[in-house]
Amino acid sequence: MSTQYSILFKQEHAHEDAIWSVGWGKNSNDGSELVISGSLDDLVKVWKWSDERLELQSTLEGHQLGVVSVDVSPSGNIMASSSLDAHIRLWDLESGKQIRAIDAGPVDAWSVAFSPDSQHLATGSHVGKVNIFGVETGKKEYSLDTRGKFILSIAYSPDGKYLASGAIDGIINIFDIATGKLLHTLEGHAMPIRSLTFSPDSQLLVTASDDGYIKIYEVQHASLAATLSGHGSWVLNVAFSPDDTHFVSSSSDKSVKVWDVSARTCVHTFLDHQDQVWGVKYNKNGSKIVSVADDQEIHVYDCPI
Amino acid sequence: MASFGWKRKIGEKVSKAVSQHFEEEAADESVVLDSHEVDWLHAIKRKKGILLEDNTARSKRLKEEGSLLAEDGRHKEALTKWDEAIQLTPEDAALYEMKAQVLMGVHEIFPAVQAAETAVQRNPRFVEAWQTLGRAQLGLGEITMAIRSFQIGLHICPANTELWEQDLNWARQLLQQKPDTESAEAAERKRGDITRELIPDYDFESDEVVAACDAISQRHKMAAANKAIVVSASGSGDPAVRKEENMETNDSKEFIKAR
Repeated sequence: MSTQYSILFKQEHAHEDAIWSVGWGKNSNDGSELVISGSLDDLVKVWKWSDERLELQSTLEGHQLGVVSVDVSPSGNIMASSSLDAHIRLWDLESGKQIRAIDAGPVDAWSVAFSPDSQHLATGSHVGKVNIFGVETGKKEYSLDTRGKFILSIAYSPDGKYLASGAIDGIINIFDIATGKLLHTLEGHAMPIRSLTFSPDSQLLVTASDDGYIKIYEVQHASLAATLSGHGSWVLNVAFSPDDTHFVSSSSDKSVKVWDVSARTCVHTFLDHQDQVWGVKYNKNGSKIVSVADDQEIHVYDCPI
Repeated sequence: MASFGWKRKIGEKVSKAVSQHFEEEAADESVVLDSHEVDWLHAIKRKKGILLEDNTARSKRLKEEGSLLAEDGRHKEALTKWDEAIQLTPEDAALYEMKAQVLMGVHEIFPAVQAAETAVQRNPRFVEAWQTLGRAQLGLGEITMAIRSFQIGLHICPANTELWEQDLNWARQLLQQKPDTESAEAAERKRGDITRELIPDYDFESDEVVAACDAISQRHKMAAANKAIVVSASGSGDPAVRKEENMETNDSKEFIKAR
């Protein structure tokens, strides 16, 4: 295990165009880790992480336009991708085969997020509704209405109690999943919220916005715990480390930053990308971070744990 | 009568804004010279500050003047204003984007694409610039590139309904229609190739010229037949027919040359 932050591997020219989203998965056969990338070139690619390098395992074809978002089910065998072509596709991670395609309707497939029990898939819509689809059925089961604007970002709390959504006008909504009630509406940012994430213990919610700030909220009281500055431009993505102590952010300023939650400071900045970094994610045990950018590269970093 | 004084030359070669600026600076200097015990270091620093502020303010004024002219349909004058503004603030992406729009208005498509490309380079998060770039690319017939530009714009701001409904959907429709027109064009080219093959290299020897004349008359017959086919086969045969006619006129030119 390493004791400091460093770049481990760069996959250059991973796609033919900008890469917009990334996820970590697991190969159920040999237990090796997988990196999933979605790009403007309409493709989703699955990469096997072994011997400290990425190896292309499969290329998932089907989307007609750029892939906006990807997510891997907590159960680990299914992944979902959404595209500008208004379709959400569910894929079997191992075989790389499409399980089903969901026509979400025009402009109604943006960020996708699996529920912690892997039974549901949530996506935001342009009229401010969060649509929840059944993974088995591929049908819309219900929707949560924020009565707001276009929902750019979505996150389930790992304990399955809450669902948070971030809108293009900077408004954050937190729903109680069991009752479907809107618990809190937070005027967190004045600009679009492109990403939000719960801490693994479901106590904190971290939001990223075009205003260049990252905010930390305490979920229970919906109170603002901290506002972090450091990025020089839009904050495009945030993701929590599985140990609750750190989270990572990526930005239009081409950097990836790792933050200490309790100290509320940036502990490391990676400046390895040459263009806007759209996606970052921790792996399952928090020993690695992956990032994807407009420069068509996938980077894997080592983290001290 | 034209005189060749230095002032006139300045008017020609140097933009008005720059020369005005130079004159203002000169005026500043005379004021400084008048006062005694000058703090040179600070005087210079202060002037730099003034200069920066001036450029942005002047560029903004030129931008607005250009916009008014453009709204009035005075495209060339608007472009001149914006070019002047670009000299003052070359990093302002909005200026290039506005230029691109007006260039498209006067059907200068290629310069429009270039201007829009500069705009998205200066600010890759400028949704309207991606939209304008896509529209200019469509003007060049680059449908795939246009779809890419519209997608980038939408990825930045998915709430832009115009970009969804008008631009992206329209470009995708065009792309779907493209294979049809392409195959039609390819077929036409094929026909052209066949007739061209019939003509050997001209050598001004009598029998070959006769052969060429034969071939050409044959070709005319074929072209006429093709024309008939095109009209009957496709309901929307208008542009195709026009192309055939162009081919015919080209043919007759060749014919004259050959003789």
